[in-house]
Amino acid sequence: MKKMTYAEAERDGIRLEMLRDPNVYLAGEDVGIFGGCFGQTTGLFQEFGPQRVVDTPISETAIVGHAVGAAAAGLRPVVEIMFIDFMGVCMDEVLNQAAKMRYMFGGKAALPMVIRTPCGAGVGAAAQHSQSLEALFTHIPGIKVVMPSTPADAKGLMAGAIRDNNPVIYIEHKVLLGVQGDVPEGEYIVPLGKADIKRVGSDATIVAWSGMVPKALAAADILAKEGISAEVVDPRTLNPLDKDTLMNSVAKTGRLVIVHEATKTGGFAGEIAAIVADEGFDLLNAPIKRITAPDCPVPFSPILEKAFLPSEEKIVRAVKELF
Amino acid sequence: MEITKEKLLDFYNTMVTIRSFEEKAVELFAAGFLPGFVHLYLGEEAVATGVCANLTDKDFITSTHRGHGHMIAKGGKIDLMMAELFGKATGYCKGKGGSMHIADVGLGILGANGIVGAGQPIATGAAFACKYKQTGAVVVCFFGDGASNRGTFHESLNMASIFKLPVVFVCENNMYGISNNQKDHMNIGDISDRAAAYGIPGVTVDGNDVIAVHEAASEAIKRARNGDGPSIIECKTWRHRGHFEGDPSVYKDPREQESWLKKDPILNLEKRLGELKFASASDLDQIKAAAREKIDSAVEFAKKSPEPSPDDLLTDIYAS
Amino acid sequence: MSTVGIIANPASGKDIRRLVSYGTVFDNHEKVNIVRRIILGLAATKVDRIVYMPDYFNIIPRAVDGLNRQEKLSLEICKADIEPTFTQADSLEAAKFMRNDGAGCIITLGGDGTNRMVARECGEVPLVPVSTGTNNVFPTMVEGTVAGLAAGVVAKGLVQDAPSVIQTKKLVIYKNGVPVDIALIDAVALRDSFIGARAIWEANRLLQTVTTRGEPHNIGISSIAGYLVPLGITDPAGLAIEFGDGPNTLLAPIAPGLIVPVSIAKHRRMTIGEQVRINKVPCILALDGEREIEVKENDEVCIKLTFDGPRVVDVKAALRESVLKTVGSRG
Repeated sequence: MKKMTYAEAERDGIRLEMLRDPNVYLAGEDVGIFGGCFGQTTGLFQEFGPQRVVDTPISETAIVGHAVGAAAAGLRPVVEIMFIDFMGVCMDEVLNQAAKMRYMFGGKAALPMVIRTPCGAGVGAAAQHSQSLEALFTHIPGIKVVMPSTPADAKGLMAGAIRDNNPVIYIEHKVLLGVQGDVPEGEYIVPLGKADIKRVGSDATIVAWSGMVPKALAAADILAKEGISAEVVDPRTLNPLDKDTLMNSVAKTGRLVIVHEATKTGGFAGEIAAIVADEGFDLLNAPIKRITAPDCPVPFSPILEKAFLPSEEKIVRAVKELF
Repeated sequence: MEITKEKLLDFYNTMVTIRSFEEKAVELFAAGFLPGFVHLYLGEEAVATGVCANLTDKDFITSTHRGHGHMIAKGGKIDLMMAELFGKATGYCKGKGGSMHIADVGLGILGANGIVGAGQPIATGAAFACKYKQTGAVVVCFFGDGASNRGTFHESLNMASIFKLPVVFVCENNMYGISNNQKDHMNIGDISDRAAAYGIPGVTVDGNDVIAVHEAASEAIKRARNGDGPSIIECKTWRHRGHFEGDPSVYKDPREQESWLKKDPILNLEKRLGELKFASASDLDQIKAAAREKIDSAVEFAKKSPEPSPDDLLTDIYAS
Repeated sequence: MSTVGIIANPASGKDIRRLVSYGTVFDNHEKVNIVRRIILGLAATKVDRIVYMPDYFNIIPRAVDGLNRQEKLSLEICKADIEPTFTQADSLEAAKFMRNDGAGCIITLGGDGTNRMVARECGEVPLVPVSTGTNNVFPTMVEGTVAGLAAGVVAKGLVQDAPSVIQTKKLVIYKNGVPVDIALIDAVALRDSFIGARAIWEANRLLQTVTTRGEPHNIGISSIAGYLVPLGITDPAGLAIEFGDGPNTLLAPIAPGLIVPVSIAKHRRMTIGEQVRINKVPCILALDGEREIEVKENDEVCIKLTFDGPRVVDVKAALRESVLKTVGSRG
């Protein structure tokens, strides 16, 4: 184990895959000498050179679109879209090309490609640089969506995403990038579609991912002091979703609170709630609760931004309401 | 450049195969055999034929919604194409793609595409892979006049130019973006003019003259293969049919249609073959009859093929 | 009533030489801009009418449209009454129309090919050929405003003769005894079977050429003549060259940026009225840089040098003469 930040761990994951497979390369805006907007790719340009760490023009459509062509022609691109908010610019390439090529071609193409992109509010970046848009992508069959919450997962899921033979959207949380944690050294892979129980508990299940995991864990600490044992389940991959881990936890606790930073309506919490209501109604002792951002653009003012974001207090309150 | 008799007859064979395929599609669509939409390549046969004759199996193409001609010219299997038009399990895409998504990745055909202009970044990426892996392969991106108005065009040509990628952008300018005449959808007359904005060469050729297309493509492809980067070839041509089958083309002037029918690329080539004494009328008839026979047997194959099973609905979404 | 014709070819400047050499990509908006300056030059000389060739890009209407907002033009602008086909045949028809319509001068925008078509029908009407590319000999690089002024003084009848208006040479192509076409600069026999993409850029295909002139500063096949026996626009002679193994190998710029070795088997000066037979058939005959005529095995092709090509305005000389005639020397 080694202490690393989330960004360093993610980079370690990319680096090891690049060393392992010459077909893996990195491309995006300012990923080269600049090292990425948040330093995620620092040093890779110096290590691998301009052929494998490719600075692109500000052309999101061509960044993702070229990755589709390069993957179809045998490479394993890892491309960066600087903010998830910019995915709107290249949506056709994600929605109609990357996601559908294999199916449309009757299974005769594979697109091993990763789109890395930072999400999340909390840094005063306002409405066009702060969103959590994972639900847009979980609604598209043909792509996978991963959202690590810890440095170790950031590394392991990156390796898992790069080795996957499908388009994967790897969503990293801006606020987590600087968070430190223990990370396994050398090759470390977290398989896609495998949830992780971040805290074992028996009275209520809190499902949270990405930036909400630390808040869920903090809420569980508070709840523990009040005598409620909360289990924190981090799905890590939203598509494919590890339903077994989720249902097992709900079977054990009988109570479910789902937390995400994305806005409420059409959010992925609704999907999880529907699955549990549908397939595990009998397991529930209380209604399912969702703690999410309100249906509102991300505001700029720190006061408003704080009001927008889900907090541990809101999570604690929601869990307590179930008893 | 040298064009032998064999090569010219080969062009002719490809062009009449495309034509027979498309004429059969007209008939089958009208008779209700083909679900969905079909966009036919009738009248534009010289472009795919002249360009693809310069490519090998290791080279790539990206195609369009009007893609049957590209498929055939790049060596696609007619049986599998026809079965796909029928939506059969034996089709290129097991009935999951249809006319607008036929592909043969093994032959370097990265698919027709239902989104106008979407092939441009894909071609750019495939060219990136060719350069990255130093395979010596090139990519040809077919697109239309309408697609040159998409943002994908700008982003792709800019990227291909700065990365000096081995890709040739072949514009099939048939003068209409669906119903919209070129003069109403862009403020230039020749799409090759756009090359100047990317610092690459752009040329315009008669898209109904397979020899002119072939010659220009040969030079552009040679250039790309030598590492000298992308270029644009604009082929001025004309689609004989509507945008899709069922489109009555009310937006086209019948006199214009008539004058273009006289410039039909196959008639052009037949005339040349005759003048050069490369083929007699009966030789040509024989080639045409053989092409029709091939198409008929493809139809037979398609008709006899099984429908996909509903059990196959959820396969092929993800690779393992 | 003074009339000037304008024939602007939207298709020039886009051929394969952009791929095989370093030809300029000349976009049509730039042609519109040049025509704008030409029109203003014409207006300044008080020409009454402009007749223009219709084209698929509407070069002249676009030019006028751009002007109207700034200044009211007193001259009349009308379209040549021809049925456009949007091929090079339009240049020919337009020239014929302009000649019959009493044009006193025709301004062309295009390459050698465009001018060749115009020359077939312009008769005695003098030309101001404005170059819009890098691969030309007949038209010259001249600023549009100045071209308009020069055409204006010619059309108004201020200047009409040498040295301001020059008689040029031409080549008449006879196929089986019948004149089928002309060339203004050169006719080249090529070891080829197809017209294809039209331009010439492969030196190893050259068989034979006849040129009306050739200067070392030319671009194209006539430059070869320039390096053997330089011949000017008014010299009463031409040059016949046969390519192949021989005593002379020289470097010549046969396309923009393409300076290649060319082997000369033999060459000789031609006098006016002399004919040269194309002796290697079948071949393709390129006229003024564009492959045009397929010569079959049994065809007999002869090329004759004449001194009755189009009359061309020397822009600098014409403007100078007009000044001297109207205001005299102020010195």
